[in-house]
Amino acid sequence: MSVHRAPDAEEHLPYLEAHFESETRFPWIKVVGYAGSLVLTLVAFWAVSAHWMSPTALLAFILGLAVAQAALQLGVFMHLRESRGPSWQIAGLGLGLFIAVGLVGMSIWIMLFKSGVS
Amino acid sequence: MPAFVPYLLHTLFPPTVLRPTEIGADVLIVATGVIIVTVLTRQKKWGWLWREWLTTVDHKRIAVMYLIAAIAMLFRGGVDALMMRTNLALPSVHFISAEEYNEVFTTHGTIMIFFMAMPLIFALFNAVIPLMIGARDVAFPRLNAVSFWLFAFGALLFNISFVVGGSPNAGWTAYPPLTELAFNPGPGENYYFLALFISGIGTTITGINFLVTILRMRAPGMTLMRMPLFAWTTLCTSALILFAFPPLTVALGTSLLDRLFHASFYTLGHGGMPMMYVNLFWLFGHPEVYIVVLPAFGIFSEVVPTFSRKPLFGYTAMVVSVVAIMVLSYGTWVHHFFTMGAGPSVNVFFGLSTMLIAIPTGVKIFNWIFTMWGGRIRLTVPMLYQLAFIPTFVVGGATGVLLATVPVDYQLHNTYFLVAHFHNTLIGGTVFGLLSGLYYWWPKMFGYKLDERQGKWAFWLFFLGFWVTFGPQYLLGLEGMTRRLWTYPLGLGWHALNLISTIGAYGMGAGFVVLVYNVVWSMQHGERDLTGDPWDGRTLEWSLPSPAPEYNFARIPVVTERDAWWAMKARGETTAVRVRPDEISALELPRNSAMPFFLGLGFFVLGFGLTFRWWWIAGLGLAGILGAMLWAGFDYEDRKHVHAEEIRRIEAALGRLEA
Amino acid sequence: MSQAWPEMEEQTLPAEFAHEEESIKITGFWMFLVTDVLIFASLFSLYAVYAGRMGGEPNPATFFHLGPALAETLLLLTSSFTVGLAIWFMRRRQVGAMTAWLVATLVLGATFVAIEAREFLGDIQSGYTWHQSAFLSAFFTLVGTHGAHVTFGILMALTLLIQVARRGLTPVTARKLYTFSLYWHFLDVVWIFIYSVVYLGGRLG
Repeated sequence: MSVHRAPDAEEHLPYLEAHFESETRFPWIKVVGYAGSLVLTLVAFWAVSAHWMSPTALLAFILGLAVAQAALQLGVFMHLRESRGPSWQIAGLGLGLFIAVGLVGMSIWIMLFKSGVS
Repeated sequence: MPAFVPYLLHTLFPPTVLRPTEIGADVLIVATGVIIVTVLTRQKKWGWLWREWLTTVDHKRIAVMYLIAAIAMLFRGGVDALMMRTNLALPSVHFISAEEYNEVFTTHGTIMIFFMAMPLIFALFNAVIPLMIGARDVAFPRLNAVSFWLFAFGALLFNISFVVGGSPNAGWTAYPPLTELAFNPGPGENYYFLALFISGIGTTITGINFLVTILRMRAPGMTLMRMPLFAWTTLCTSALILFAFPPLTVALGTSLLDRLFHASFYTLGHGGMPMMYVNLFWLFGHPEVYIVVLPAFGIFSEVVPTFSRKPLFGYTAMVVSVVAIMVLSYGTWVHHFFTMGAGPSVNVFFGLSTMLIAIPTGVKIFNWIFTMWGGRIRLTVPMLYQLAFIPTFVVGGATGVLLATVPVDYQLHNTYFLVAHFHNTLIGGTVFGLLSGLYYWWPKMFGYKLDERQGKWAFWLFFLGFWVTFGPQYLLGLEGMTRRLWTYPLGLGWHALNLISTIGAYGMGAGFVVLVYNVVWSMQHGERDLTGDPWDGRTLEWSLPSPAPEYNFARIPVVTERDAWWAMKARGETTAVRVRPDEISALELPRNSAMPFFLGLGFFVLGFGLTFRWWWIAGLGLAGILGAMLWAGFDYEDRKHVHAEEIRRIEAALGRLEA
Repeated sequence: MSQAWPEMEEQTLPAEFAHEEESIKITGFWMFLVTDVLIFASLFSLYAVYAGRMGGEPNPATFFHLGPALAETLLLLTSSFTVGLAIWFMRRRQVGAMTAWLVATLVLGATFVAIEAREFLGDIQSGYTWHQSAFLSAFFTLVGTHGAHVTFGILMALTLLIQVARRGLTPVTARKLYTFSLYWHFLDVVWIFIYSVVYLGGRLG
């Protein structure tokens, strides 16, 4: 086979350092992650059904739970740090999420038309 | 005659495509087609064309195909421009009708951005990037061919609208409600949305491809901070494509749902919001401006050091400013619709963020000037374009800062001032840059130089023509002439400036003709490049023969510093690129595939069917797409084995084998 | 490239990373996922802006059915867990267990799609089509795009099962299974936001 180039020995990017998962025993971490994801879902469901807080606070609360859930999926299930050479996907995903949040937030802000001239 | 024949004829050839211009285009298309088919058949070249070109996955050949398509599209877009300028040359000239004028300014803008600038950029990415970073190909060669064919069939779909069914006519931005089905029932806008959707998928794949190529396939030792600047700008452009094309895809897709399946996203009734389309479009559209201009910045950062014989001044500052431009370009999109009235806070935020971009751009301009400072400058054609770029782009940037000032924008929005401003940046930046790069890398792509004297003629015609065209347009804008105006009466004081502008446009057209003549003449008589390094270059692509062999590098070079090839020459180590016979080992190279062509064809058929709402044709296209994807999934023979002996033979023929 | 299992010095890496060109494809797939993040972000922005722009349908608090949405969430979370197990068994080269967990994943995914389709059809039968309002256009397109992704994922995995049956676990099939798992987890994450913003958020009024 042809290896195109040697591993990227010169690059030192501490935040993107690759790390492979090497579980040999039963993957209890995945079971725990699964249980955690169920708990987060049910808490959100309960909080909304029971009108636990004011609607605005509740929206912030369930969005927070969703972010926690996404972090859990990325951390436990998605092998985020696995790569040969630096884990470029972390940089790509980080920038992508930053822009995604900006896109949604700014679009809402812009389309509110809070204007004296429109 | 069966009953469906008149229906079919009327749908495909309504009166709008039977005007003199369209009939003229028909004749031209048929004549060109007949000539091509005759020549290919006479010379028995069909098999060669299919095996060597249409099914190729070699980045260097894909580059050539992109280049040919881009020049053809430059011709089409240029003819559109000349038709507009002819109509505006004098007051009340009705050379083309108002309806046709709408179509022509729509196709001019769309073609120049999506089907001329983008493929020309990808031509240079493909031709240069793997050679520059010491790689044997791009990360995903077969997907690279998929990108090309999605672009090519998307461009074909867009261009046939002119003669089959009717052109789009709502401007290159295709704002609703101008595109709402109720107000624009013809197939034209369907063509627009589908063609851009299809070529947009291809562009997204290209972005992923070059991002990963640069991140993962650099030669050993070529750290990020040792990369040539063109590789840096390609990296940032690819990242911009990744983040900018999805909003466009959604804007186009939802518009199609409105038009084809009666959704209510941007309709005037049912709660739709046309301005939300505008928001999504410019979420793409502003980064797109930087997608087309960053590669030009990269080209100049290669051209200036080479022809000044000095390393690039302020390399780190250049890298930082490119990255800053990339990130900032996401926060400025509202300046395209300040007049929507989102409110003072929104407009001030986006006005300031727009002005902020001028800072890193200014840093780059100064660094190019300081690179030239004290250098031994050679005034070649690539360098002339760079020297023309600096003042032209500075004026474009400065008028951009003017337009970013919200109250000024309320006055100048959608006037010829704006038209002149963005042509200043798009031609002065992108086109000058790409032409500079084309002349610079032409010997690497084809093995011969373009004639310098003819090139200088083309340059002066194009450069002076540019200023004669667009200089007066600033004044016209200040005098209140609005954009997309079909004609104007005498007595507004616009006629003299318009006439000058039209003369300039024909000057640019003459420049294009000389450019094409330059290419054709040089094919026969141009100076052959036997050294592989005709300009005394600095980066790795000049260490290879021109054109490079299929595998690029017989042995991947090891990089120890910036401007790797220059450093090797300075140390007298140029023999390092020669290889001993025993150093050569067999290679696995990507194998040609017909899948990308058929995938593109499937998308074309799907697009054509949807344009006319002929669902069974669309279904056929969809089946073709899924079939091609299955083919790709089950094809495990995507690489071919090349024996060491074969490579030794090629290297020996190139005179690069150590005895 | 050789189809054989990698040699000793590359044994430290999982099979799908053992060959440089296969590991490059994994990086490429991540970058594709980044573009998909932006696709869904754009659709979310449409939904958020259009949230109040209705055309006669009942307001979201009564329009959305929380029960089916909760069931869909639990199904997708479970399938995310099962595909994680499939990859774990793949790395232990236990093809049988891997196939079983992958099939379980697909069954869960198909059930998810079925519930969503039933909900959509019910809405349409009640006369709530996307023609009716910008809000419903955004709702059906956001949720439907996710559903189409899941459906495409199921079809993709079926072709992968055929490839594994024919070729066994090779660096290439392992890489394809690995990227499928990334895709599936990613769709799970997107669904979490749909569940939180559209369904639970809609209940907040």
